[in-house]
Amino acid sequence: MATITTEAATVRPTEPPVRRPNNWRWRFLPQYLAISPFFVLFAVFSAYPVLYSLYLAFQRWDGIGPMTFVGLDNFAFLISDTQFWTSIWNTLLIWVMSTIPMTILALLIAVGLNSSVRFKGFYRIAYFMPNVTSIVAMTIVFGSIFSTQFGILNTALRAIGIDPVEWLTDPWGIRITISIMIIWRWVGYNSIIFLAGLQAIPTDVFEAARVDGAGPIRTFFQVTLPLLRPVLLFSVVMSAINGLQIFAEAQILVGERGGVEDAGTTMVLYFYNQAFAANDFGYGAAIAWGIFLVVVLFAILNWRLIQRPERAEVAR
Amino acid sequence: MTTLDRRRFLAALGGLGIGLTVAGCGSPATTDPGSLTLWYKNGGMSDAVLAEAAQRFAGDRFDPAAVSDVRPKLLTSLAGRAYTPDMAMLNDDIALYFRNSDRFVDLNTLGAAALRDQYLPWKWQAGSTPDGKLLGFPIDTGPSALYYRKDLFEQAGLPHEPDDVAAAVPTWEDYFALGRQLLKALPGRYLIADAKTVYTYSLAQEPQKYLDRQGRFIGDQEHVRRAWDRAVSAVQQKLTAGFFDNAKQSSDRQSAWNSGTEVSFVGASWMYGSLTEAAAGTAGKWRVCRSPGGPGNQGGSFVGITSVCPAPERAYEIVTWLLSPANQARHYADKGLFPSAPAAYTDPVARRADPFFGGQVVADVFAESARGVKPAYFSAYDVTISDTITDELVNVESAGKDPETAWRDARAAVDQLLQRAGVL
Repeated sequence: MATITTEAATVRPTEPPVRRPNNWRWRFLPQYLAISPFFVLFAVFSAYPVLYSLYLAFQRWDGIGPMTFVGLDNFAFLISDTQFWTSIWNTLLIWVMSTIPMTILALLIAVGLNSSVRFKGFYRIAYFMPNVTSIVAMTIVFGSIFSTQFGILNTALRAIGIDPVEWLTDPWGIRITISIMIIWRWVGYNSIIFLAGLQAIPTDVFEAARVDGAGPIRTFFQVTLPLLRPVLLFSVVMSAINGLQIFAEAQILVGERGGVEDAGTTMVLYFYNQAFAANDFGYGAAIAWGIFLVVVLFAILNWRLIQRPERAEVAR
Repeated sequence: MTTLDRRRFLAALGGLGIGLTVAGCGSPATTDPGSLTLWYKNGGMSDAVLAEAAQRFAGDRFDPAAVSDVRPKLLTSLAGRAYTPDMAMLNDDIALYFRNSDRFVDLNTLGAAALRDQYLPWKWQAGSTPDGKLLGFPIDTGPSALYYRKDLFEQAGLPHEPDDVAAAVPTWEDYFALGRQLLKALPGRYLIADAKTVYTYSLAQEPQKYLDRQGRFIGDQEHVRRAWDRAVSAVQQKLTAGFFDNAKQSSDRQSAWNSGTEVSFVGASWMYGSLTEAAAGTAGKWRVCRSPGGPGNQGGSFVGITSVCPAPERAYEIVTWLLSPANQARHYADKGLFPSAPAAYTDPVARRADPFFGGQVVADVFAESARGVKPAYFSAYDVTISDTITDELVNVESAGKDPETAWRDARAAVDQLLQRAGVL
């Protein structure tokens, strides 16, 4: 109360004297109104669906008729559902298979772009293009490239005397193809990020390294890489966020069923399948919450990864 | 001209927001109140017939709208109880709506029984709920037949005239024997695209599928296992090509049609569209004859009138006109949708000599198949059950999985699926 009286006392001189004392409640209305669009949209399009999906996870619902409460049944099914575990495994596999080569490639490209090459602007745009290309269109093109029967890749393999690979009907072929698509899509984006990180490193560090007699390779591993660490972490976190949500690539390349041995069934694809193809919305919601748990685990992992170096520095 | 200052802009924005909120609170029950909307799948009806209907029923403001993905949109509008179309095209998984039959008009209450004799009995039954309500008015069917390359059959020294081929392959086993002969004569070419085809079309020839009309699971019975064993046997004899085909992209198969690697396939009437489009270069070389194992149906659709439709009698009149035997012949001629009204089979519009098939009247072949289809109950879960089983077949075919393990895995997955759905 005391704070309010002092506040009112300081404000009063600028305000008309006829104001009622409880007006302070509405004083911030314009401010609240100004920030309300975000909260309204968030409540309608994020908070409500999230809460509703939690409610749905305890129901059996075909999407039209009345819901039946089934308690924890959906979650019990989820734990014993081998396909769900396969989908987690696939997602992690594809994430590792895409992120590691992608990061190395992106680093190489960034270092290349950072050294004085001609047409830098052109390369930067060219490397960024895949990231803004429609995934669906791109997947159809990749499907043709990797096609067993007439794909350009198998034709090239045959030309150099290697047996053609059944990219789309072999479990590992499917995972590799999806990984390559992700690499293609994200390598440019990450190399631009890395390039920004490289350009932020002061040149005197490199000069000092050179004076101390370090070659280019040693400089890269002992000066450039450690200084790029925060940027690298950012890129890994971003790719984890994207990697756990892989969907369109798999769905269009091998179809909603996930292809041979479910090799292309990612977590989100499996969720989509159960909810929107099989019309089992209750179970779909349970899967979504299963995915949420996996994502939380990953977030904790990432968080610890980022926290550690700072703690180490403090300890030093 | 008034200038747009910040105050004015904010006022306009606020007005717009309030307007939208008010509109949102009063969402109309139908897509476009005042008119009669039909949601149909792209290419799911003849444009000419629809255009004529729009004129003919201009007084009812009949408004057909091609929708790229009818099912999810219809489900959304039904779940939200807003913006539901007055009429909607339903697929062969129409049984999905049987549990909620109150959301659709029972067409029998509008006098549909009088038209019953004009349509195929099994198709009519497929659109009816177990307690006898007619939810879906028949559009097209998907009778199966054997498509084959006459020139390549001839080259391999096999029977090649439609009647001779049909006589040579009355059963699937005869068909497989023909496949072995072909592989010897023309190595590297295939009679059968994949194990999935054998399974799906074998099961389509049976009088029952996975659930009976009382909703009891019968997928563990002999007829399913027979279709499975047949498909596995084709794989083990190395008669299937195992082309990659995911419904969204079947470029592998399309290239096989063009290159002549796929010499024949058992397919529904609607495969005609994909084949003629993808392999235009092979025009004149294909023929169609009766499928090994006999007639079967795969796919087909219906039109339902939703219960929110304000003028069901008018909608019914539109639907029955759109799908009259004479107009079904036109849908077939324009879009390859095979009629469900037998009178259309003798209609000269449908019975055209087709140059792609060397001047053969293919409608006759499909008509024979359509007439012979055994009525089988297609449950709401059939698509998912079938996909689950064929997933395992693909594993046997492409990844060399042991067939017995695959069958056990498929059965376990189907059991789990049905437990979740509350059927088991």
